[in-house]
Amino acid sequence: MLKYDVIVVGAGGAGMMAALYASKDKNLRVACLSKIFPTRSHTGAAQGGINAAMGYRDATDSPEKHFRDTVKGSDFLADQDAVEYFTANMPAIISELDYYGVPFSRDPNGRIAQRPFGGASSPRTCYSADKTGHVILHALYEQCLKNNVEFLDEWFLLSLVVADETFHGLVAMNIKTGEIHPFLAKAVVIATGGFGRIYWNRTTNAINMTGDGTAACFNAGIPLKDPEFVQFHPTGLASTGILLSEACRGEGGYLINREGERFMKRYAPEKMELAPRDLVSRSIEMEIKAGRGFGQGLEAYVLMDLRHLGKEKIMERLPQVRELAMDFEGVDLIEEPVPIRPSCHYMMGGIHVSDYATLATPVEGIHAAGECACVSIHGANRLGGNSVADVVLFGKYAGIGARESAKKRPFGLETLVIKEAKKWESKFATMRNKTSGIRLVDIRNKMAEVMWNYVGIFRHEQEMRVALETIDQLLNDYEHAYIGDPALRYNTAFVHYVEIGNLLTLAKAVVLGAINRKESRGSHARADYPQRDDENFLKHTLIYKRGDRYELKYLPVKITKYPPEERKY
Amino acid sequence: MENITFRIRRYDGTNTWVQEYRLPYEKGKTILWALTKIKDEIDPTLNFTSACRHAICGSCGVKVNGHAFLACKTSLDKLLETFDTSVLYFEPLGNYDVVRDLVVDWKPKMEKMKKVKPWLLPSREGSKEEGFRQSKQQFAKISSSTDCILCGICASECGQLAINDGGYLEPFIINKAYRFVVDSRDNAPEEHIRPVLENELWKCIHCMQCVSKCPKEIPLTDEIAYLRKETMKMGEVHNQGARHAYAFYHDVKKWGRLNEMTLPVKTDGMVTTLRKRIPFAYRMIVKGKINPLRLPKAVKGIKGVRKIYQQVEEESKS
Ligand SMILES: Cc1cc2nc3c(=O)[nH]c(=O)nc-3n(C[C@H](O)[C@H](O)[C@H](O)COP(=O)(O)OP(=O)(O)OC[C@H]3O[C@@H](n4cnc5c(N)ncnc54)[C@H](O)[C@@H]3O)c2cc1C
Ligand code: SF4
Ligand code: SF4
Ligand code: FES
Repeated sequence: MLKYDVIVVGAGGAGMMAALYASKDKNLRVACLSKIFPTRSHTGAAQGGINAAMGYRDATDSPEKHFRDTVKGSDFLADQDAVEYFTANMPAIISELDYYGVPFSRDPNGRIAQRPFGGASSPRTCYSADKTGHVILHALYEQCLKNNVEFLDEWFLLSLVVADETFHGLVAMNIKTGEIHPFLAKAVVIATGGFGRIYWNRTTNAINMTGDGTAACFNAGIPLKDPEFVQFHPTGLASTGILLSEACRGEGGYLINREGERFMKRYAPEKMELAPRDLVSRSIEMEIKAGRGFGQGLEAYVLMDLRHLGKEKIMERLPQVRELAMDFEGVDLIEEPVPIRPSCHYMMGGIHVSDYATLATPVEGIHAAGECACVSIHGANRLGGNSVADVVLFGKYAGIGARESAKKRPFGLETLVIKEAKKWESKFATMRNKTSGIRLVDIRNKMAEVMWNYVGIFRHEQEMRVALETIDQLLNDYEHAYIGDPALRYNTAFVHYVEIGNLLTLAKAVVLGAINRKESRGSHARADYPQRDDENFLKHTLIYKRGDRYELKYLPVKITKYPPEERKY
Repeated sequence: MENITFRIRRYDGTNTWVQEYRLPYEKGKTILWALTKIKDEIDPTLNFTSACRHAICGSCGVKVNGHAFLACKTSLDKLLETFDTSVLYFEPLGNYDVVRDLVVDWKPKMEKMKKVKPWLLPSREGSKEEGFRQSKQQFAKISSSTDCILCGICASECGQLAINDGGYLEPFIINKAYRFVVDSRDNAPEEHIRPVLENELWKCIHCMQCVSKCPKEIPLTDEIAYLRKETMKMGEVHNQGARHAYAFYHDVKKWGRLNEMTLPVKTDGMVTTLRKRIPFAYRMIVKGKINPLRLPKAVKGIKGVRKIYQQVEEESKS
């Protein structure tokens, strides 16, 4: 039986920070389990930077200002006690990362450079060129190697074992061998990232961002908080959803429809392309819905034209972007406009964390941090640069929290984890032996299509009802899915099967949360309820799963300092 | 062209075979697009790894027609043009243990990487509470080497690794060591350099494959040259590589060119040369690579060469 005091699931920024801190107590046996090799984690994709009020570039900046900006950005749905804790502790984390060797870009005084970012009242985003997440991820991996963290690379979390609201352990598969193992653990940190893949290709997220840990917690009785809040980035590449930086619009790029018109004049006559992210995303979708886009259905797009900037400016200011467009869309921005469409970028909601200082969930022994968790500091809309910050800071405190949990708790029951593992073994065997059924890829594509069309940027009760029905149907189809690979070893078809199951489970929660939130707030834009409604909806959604039934509850928002006001920029 | 043929080397843990798939040609697609399409629409048993799909996670290195590429970043059009064919042969990265199909094992490489202490050994100038000061120039020194995404392409292409018995370090490991050696915040560069030296630093054969294939254009051979110089400064001059470098130096100074005939003698010593190099030299003669009967003459511009030496020597004194 594999036994650890603390198991960290996930090796992104949150997971490795947690593993690092949990393993500082040398009396504890700690493992960090990840379905992909640690440095492949999606934290590496973060380009822009990480927010902390260092005050290096603007001496008037302060954690207090960062606090205020974050609350306002969240459209007042963030818990203010948690945000204050977050912004107050961030500067120390940046220094710590510096001490770990993160190669930050520097200012003329040799201090960490900071840049302005959307929604921030001071330039407080620390960065390393346009590869901030990448360098942080690698530095954390180095620190984990230094501290001899035990990595279980390419191990896949299948489920958590919770009985009578007590955590016993978990079940995971060693992908390389196909063996399924029960694990006993006193505490676990779930740090498995977001689940933008409910929209499949219409996301900036990596292929594996399927919310496995979120689904595992959800299935184990922990509620999801605010799953309806999904951030869309306006300029994803049309065919792949890959992110083209906001800098394109910043430098003066045009957005044009099939009629060759700069359509933003209809939606934001003054700011035009420089209107905020959510507004631009909505405008693009309106054009497509009105039949002024190119292509059809999921393949539809509009164009971003940078040609008028001229070769010189493009080469000087946007060389990376040009390369991305060339490599991934086959388009040279200097000569042609590039097809783009909004792309799902980030999940504000996630595993309900009930204590921001320890990242504990309602089930003792289970902690959660990073994009998979909802503390909540992002509320209805996350500010750029606040996620990598969230990930490293709360990853650290989750590691400490789990360490303390492990010291207090005994190991759980072997029989329970063994039973759960047996269940998965037989499921794996069944799926390997099946020779016919519904193709998994078809289920996945159908899910993405309804989620995109009906629970995407614009939402309307009637359409969401259709989506809900379809997701229910797909959950049914899923029971008849077949994977087409009988092998034990490195069976990515089976892994993908489990991932799709998780996505469907979570997609349903997104739809339910969205249907029931009859207001527009932050990223959640309802055509049938266009106003924010503080009277009825200044509260967090909590969705519980009991067997196949989903139950909705609500939780008050913690407001300590900044009473809700109109959100104007 | 109507179709592209993909011949993929498969492996299931026991058997190896080549499987053929065909896809209709589409303009502007990547290798990863093709692999994904094959898995989604033709054969779910095919396995490969990918994640970010935009050249930052390093998961998707794969060999096509004998050369390693990052699958998500490399366009099929470019490959078809380069190889002038509609048949592409896929294999897993070279110099790795294969897990299944195109999936390779990274675990042993990371165990090996630990040899160079791949973490910052922080100098006393910084602290966990305050961090460090680092000038822009100092940052510039680590900017390129920290671009490495651990994709393994350099290791797959490395000429020395291919013939080595496991002692030589993967170029990305050397890069990792270099990255700390030149970091102003690191207190003990020697602790990263020494393991690199002890793991056959001088065996790089300058084939330049790593540099020319690295998707992040990291100047790996410049880093190797730098580390070699550092080891010589550390007084590590009695190893084969350093002696080779000195021999090189003396030959060029004297003749303005290398004397392939005497170089091995100076590097290895006479006895070892006779024992080890004769078969090699014999092959070289047969292939017309060296002419043992022609003694070197000084090249025409030898005066110029000597001047360069003089100047460099003076500069390094000042
Ligand atoms: C293109 C892009 C750019 C971004 N840019 C920025 C930015 O500039 N600034 C910013 O603040 N934020 C940015 N974000 C958001 C931010 O990068 C992410 O929210 C954050 O990095 C998530 O980190 P994480 O540690 O929670 O999860 P991840 O880094 O996604 O790691 C998840 C880990 O969980 C593991 N895992 C998942 N499922 C399982 C399972 N079943 N079993 C075992 N292991 C599992 C994975 O292997 C992985 O190791 C960006 C996001 C994207 C997509
Ligand atoms: S130049 Fe050296 S390190 Fe690079 S591939 Fe050739 S032998 Fe390997
Ligand atoms: S040095 Fe270049 S080729 Fe080698 S692993 Fe790093 S990024 Fe890949
Ligand atoms: S998929 Fe990430 S580098 Fe290719």
